[in-house]
Amino acid sequence: MSDHVVRKGLDVPVQGAASGDVVELDLPETVAYDPQEMSGLYPRLAKREGEEVQRGTVLFYDKKHPDIVVRSPVAGTVKEIRRGARRVITDVVVERSGDGEETFASYTVDQLGSMSAEEAVAAAMATGLFPAFRTRPLDRIPDPAELPQSIFVAATETGPLQPGADVLLSADDKDALQAAVTLLGRIAPVHLTSPSGSNHPAVQGISGATTHQFSGPHPAGDPGVQVNLVDPPRGNNRVWVLRAWDAALLGKALLTGSFPAERVFAAVGVGCQPRFVKTLLGAPLKHITGGDAKVPSRWIRGSVLTGTAVDEGRWAGFGARAVHVLPSEVPRYLMGWALPALGAWSFYRAFLRGFAGAPSDGVDMRPGLYGGERAIVPIGAYQKVVATPDILPDFLIKSILAGDLEESISLGLLDLTMEEAALCTYICPSKVEFDVILKQGLEFYEQET
Amino acid sequence: MQKALENLFDGLRPRFEGKDAPLGWAWPLFEGAETVLLTPDHATHSGSHVRDRMDMKRLMIFVLYALAPCILFGAYNVGQQGFLAEGVSDFSPVDALVRGLWHMLPVIITSYTAGGIAELVFCIVRKHEINEGFLVTAMLYPLTLPPTIPLWMAAAGIVFGVVIGKEVFGGVGMNILNPALTARAFVFFTYPAAISGAKVWDVGGRWWPMGSEAQLVDGYTGATPLLAVASMDRGADPAAGLAELGWGFPELAMGMIPGSMGEVSAVAALLGAIFLLVTGIASWQTMVGCVAGLVGMAAILNGVAGPDSLALFHLPPHYHLVMGGFAFGAIFMATDPVSSPSLNVSRFFYGIGIGALCVLVRVVNPAYPEGMMLAVLFMNVFAPLLDYVVVKRSTRRRAARLAAA
Repeated sequence: MSDHVVRKGLDVPVQGAASGDVVELDLPETVAYDPQEMSGLYPRLAKREGEEVQRGTVLFYDKKHPDIVVRSPVAGTVKEIRRGARRVITDVVVERSGDGEETFASYTVDQLGSMSAEEAVAAAMATGLFPAFRTRPLDRIPDPAELPQSIFVAATETGPLQPGADVLLSADDKDALQAAVTLLGRIAPVHLTSPSGSNHPAVQGISGATTHQFSGPHPAGDPGVQVNLVDPPRGNNRVWVLRAWDAALLGKALLTGSFPAERVFAAVGVGCQPRFVKTLLGAPLKHITGGDAKVPSRWIRGSVLTGTAVDEGRWAGFGARAVHVLPSEVPRYLMGWALPALGAWSFYRAFLRGFAGAPSDGVDMRPGLYGGERAIVPIGAYQKVVATPDILPDFLIKSILAGDLEESISLGLLDLTMEEAALCTYICPSKVEFDVILKQGLEFYEQET
Repeated sequence: MQKALENLFDGLRPRFEGKDAPLGWAWPLFEGAETVLLTPDHATHSGSHVRDRMDMKRLMIFVLYALAPCILFGAYNVGQQGFLAEGVSDFSPVDALVRGLWHMLPVIITSYTAGGIAELVFCIVRKHEINEGFLVTAMLYPLTLPPTIPLWMAAAGIVFGVVIGKEVFGGVGMNILNPALTARAFVFFTYPAAISGAKVWDVGGRWWPMGSEAQLVDGYTGATPLLAVASMDRGADPAAGLAELGWGFPELAMGMIPGSMGEVSAVAALLGAIFLLVTGIASWQTMVGCVAGLVGMAAILNGVAGPDSLALFHLPPHYHLVMGGFAFGAIFMATDPVSSPSLNVSRFFYGIGIGALCVLVRVVNPAYPEGMMLAVLFMNVFAPLLDYVVVKRSTRRRAARLAAA
């Protein structure tokens, strides 16, 4: 086991953390998948509107790799296929009725441990949970034909208000997690990461993986940063990353042959009553928060740093385990730039609160820019929130903007994680959007290669 | 109050915003006025949903706060030097401050007005928002001028600094040279008689409302300490010579000397430095580098100095630190984040270069008894090169780390 102390980064102290026990909700009437959040998957529908499905029936699959399937979390009917601009599928909505189930192959741990790499990948794809994997670099669903250099199973989460292993994993998940690690060990060496000092019963004593512990502010819990620190991809290699709670679901599916549809979500943010709930994968957002927002709000799947804003009438995502309801009214401050602003917290010491630290219950943040958009004025702040070594964020961003692909790759275009870029965006006094520019750079890279 | 302002701006907005608005050309003016009074309520539309409260306006205003000691002490000293030159010694500090402000404020107001018009014209033509960096430029520049500078020269300088030093490159963030020093350099090379020599550094004998028609005392030279040392005999002991003129180390450090309006006091500049470092606005690497470069180069020159060397060769490092514009330049000019390198390592070497060059210009080229402006501008040009070296080193280290993994 090795310990990693991440010194750079920032825990964005946003208010509205969930606490207390997990509330078991009644089953929602509808559930939905958003194929758009499955980066790298081009959906082809297996079921049309109005067709009946069972729990575990394949709803859609990847056009390029038809073995990457997505299974229905409930039995019922495909109620609606919603499409957005250029007819991309935005929601595959299933209305719940009945309780039929379609199963797939199940295995014992011994069987999982004696598979070939190709068999192991095929078994993982058949569960319908393969879209939970991402590659480093590029954060795409992996190409099943390209075996990775290693696989990271992360029981860590440091994103603002995001639930972690203490909520999403229970002690009973240990066998399932072990099964998943055993399977993944047939594909590539497995690294299992957890927060320093935690001894979660589900993660303790898992065999077949190198274990690592990480401490420090966000992005210490980001699997991409952990990859960069432990086993950065060499050459054109890929590393696969997966959260431990998704790995436990994968293990459960492999052991039982039945699609695990239950998920724990955190409803967070000042716009709702924060709580933890247990419901179904793809439950409606308002089902998770328990109703409308208290004030006009922005609904975010995931975190305020890297999450996606969605319409409040839609459904929780496949990957993110938090719904953040962020009040959208941005307050204005008289002469806010010149006054001490005693109550305001900032990353910078140009606010008194920057010395004192954030209030323990967080800051009532709003989706405001709080300043004009300017050219980058480098005051040496970006380096303080990027944990990946040897990255110079402002030079990287400038090389991307200049369209110099070779230079930007040598500066770490493929290494900088989206969480780190979002932190740079968060702290930028010139309001430059590092994460948006990084995305452009990665798209450009994929076009060119 | 706030509500009334919000309503006022919301009411006026349709006249300024958008292509077809009747006053659309004046949008930068409207935007500037609004965001000075009220923080903007623009919502994030892409990227991270939340942002830090810090913005460029706050960054820049904090530099102005840090300048307050230099401005106030500078005003006091302008008045004081005026009285001393006239042989008056029974003036009160308030008299000195008022007299100093009488001479100083017109230059500052001219700088803001002339520079502001140039800035605004560019913003309207180029259709970008007013850059708050101008607030700092237009304050730094007059502080580096002698109090007797004719206002039209001050105006010409700031317009040159804003236009050629900054706006032609695209505004704050894109410029290569420090705009305030570009402005000063323009005046320095175009009107040398108004900004160098012994006659321009004090306001003695000039009219002010509470003053009599006082005459300069006989034998008064008005030279700055650096100029005084430069004109000493070869091999003379500069510290003793300065002490004879009434300038011991404490007087020099406090800034009780003739000189540019805001640059004289190393102590006042140091107060500003503490503020800038505590609030994290300026880079300590640059400041430490400047001091290290200056002390190192001055020590070397002290070492090689023989009995025939110019008196400046013998000037000890701690005198260099507090004389001329070094302290002010190292703290406020060299640390300009745009024209200095972007990386902490390169900032350190950049500072060393500035400190060493400053002493070299002062000592080896006695035609320019002050070298800080030239040193900073020279190193501004080399800032991208320094960054380039550090970036290459970082990418090599990165490549090596990935190869070894």
